[in-house]
Amino acid sequence: MAEVRSRLGAASGFPPWLRTNAEHYLLVDAQQRVAASYGCDAPMPPKRAKDHFFLSVFVPVYRALPWRLRLAVLQRMPGSHRRTWQRRARTPLGPAV
Amino acid sequence: MATRTVIVGGGAAGIGAAGAFKGAMPAGEVVVFTEFEDAAYSPCGIPYVHGKEIPSFEALFLASKEQYADQGIDIRYETAVTELDLAARKVRVEGRPDEAFDRLIIATGFDYADPGVPGTDLEGLYYIKNIRRAMEWDKVLDSVKSAVVVEATPLGLEMVTALAHRGIETHVVDHRPWALSDLADPDIAQPVQDAWDAAGVKMHFGVRLEAFLGEGKLRAVQTAAGTIPADLAVICTKKVPNNALARAAGLAIGPTGGIIVDNRMATSAAGVFAAGDCTEIPLGVTDVGVQGLTGSHAYSQGKVAGINAGGGDRTYQPVYIPWGVMTGNLMVGGVSFGETTAKALGIPYVMGVAEGISRARYFPGVMKVKVKLLAEPGTLRLIGAQMIGGEGIKERADFLAMAVKTGITLKDLAFMENVYSPPIGALNEPIAVAAQNALNNLGKP
Repeated sequence: MAEVRSRLGAASGFPPWLRTNAEHYLLVDAQQRVAASYGCDAPMPPKRAKDHFFLSVFVPVYRALPWRLRLAVLQRMPGSHRRTWQRRARTPLGPAV
Repeated sequence: MATRTVIVGGGAAGIGAAGAFKGAMPAGEVVVFTEFEDAAYSPCGIPYVHGKEIPSFEALFLASKEQYADQGIDIRYETAVTELDLAARKVRVEGRPDEAFDRLIIATGFDYADPGVPGTDLEGLYYIKNIRRAMEWDKVLDSVKSAVVVEATPLGLEMVTALAHRGIETHVVDHRPWALSDLADPDIAQPVQDAWDAAGVKMHFGVRLEAFLGEGKLRAVQTAAGTIPADLAVICTKKVPNNALARAAGLAIGPTGGIIVDNRMATSAAGVFAAGDCTEIPLGVTDVGVQGLTGSHAYSQGKVAGINAGGGDRTYQPVYIPWGVMTGNLMVGGVSFGETTAKALGIPYVMGVAEGISRARYFPGVMKVKVKLLAEPGTLRLIGAQMIGGEGIKERADFLAMAVKTGITLKDLAFMENVYSPPIGALNEPIAVAAQNALNNLGKP
């Protein structure tokens, strides 16, 4: 595993750090809410300071923002989506013949 | 003018790229470097050989080494590339002279996320990837009495089922609350867990992994809920991009850790392409990058990269990620978003659920099929689906991915046409019923 780790290299910079943590804690929060609605086991309670920060501060702030604003922020992050991609037209084109 | 293309990686993306490059430019030269003894086999089939559903590993190979050589694909086996020198247009190769390229395709794939606990250097930890090691591990499995699968990811599901099927006392340890919980909703995962329970699998969900214990060799797995004696631990953690070479070469890397590419699979450096699990690709529903897709995605991306490296002009498109996994007699699958993942991102949705059957109710072999559809409020365009059942999940996932991609709405699906033939399809298609239920629920609290 040490060999694997050395080949991976560490993802560096703020966007990867934010993405990894945001993804994880937003999912934990969602699992908690979905688990409550289905009456099944919830995720583990927060333990570390980082858990508390993301679940008590980041997640509520994120959830308080309107979806369109959140999406606009996500889309402004660097990544493949900022390069040239063909977005498919969703409008029907009519009969094929 | 014929070019010389070097491909780093011999998995689905690398081999797809090599074949496509030769198709686009038959006179061109292509060299594939792989650290493994083989190229172009299906690692996804390994759990099924371990579970004795496929009789031998030989069936997993796509073609022989001679067939690749005959096609003009020069594969350098057991050869590690240590550096990409983009300025000099060369790759450094361990123990051998540098190799020059006109075009470079990076297909370095993934590695498993580090479990992040002590004891990962012990003998007895199995990372499924290399088919030769899998052949060796398969013999070891004959003497394993107790095994722990670390994390109930799609691969984890397959391995839990395979080990249990083989008569091994099987534990699954995951800090998450249910199986496939990064992907599937709890009601979709529950039948899988019920089937595991019936098969004697011991589930430890919501339990933190703390250490692998042993003296040189694994003896037990320590968790926050106690110690599990084990001869074997199968590491099925999340796939992370293997991008040290690309990162060191200065290529742009996205927030997922994947190499940034455009729709031609071109990276931030001229003449350098990337494909497969080492890249990140926009998800069509949100237009935000995602990473860690499937073998079929990797193969298609490799073909696009190979054709473009060979002077062609092909484009890949944002993904909608139809997925599926088989565990015992159950198929689980979906497309883009489920309830949990939509809630995580905070995407508004309306939902419809239906339970139906896979064939006519009187036909032998009929099985249950549960479908959940999620759609955008207002437009009612589909944004995702989740399914579980005995059969027909893969085909529904493929269809629904195209439905999401093309902007199909719940109204379109509610009265869709469907094949009715007793051995292969029921009168009521569960997708249509789920869409009807969603429409009926509109406006209800």
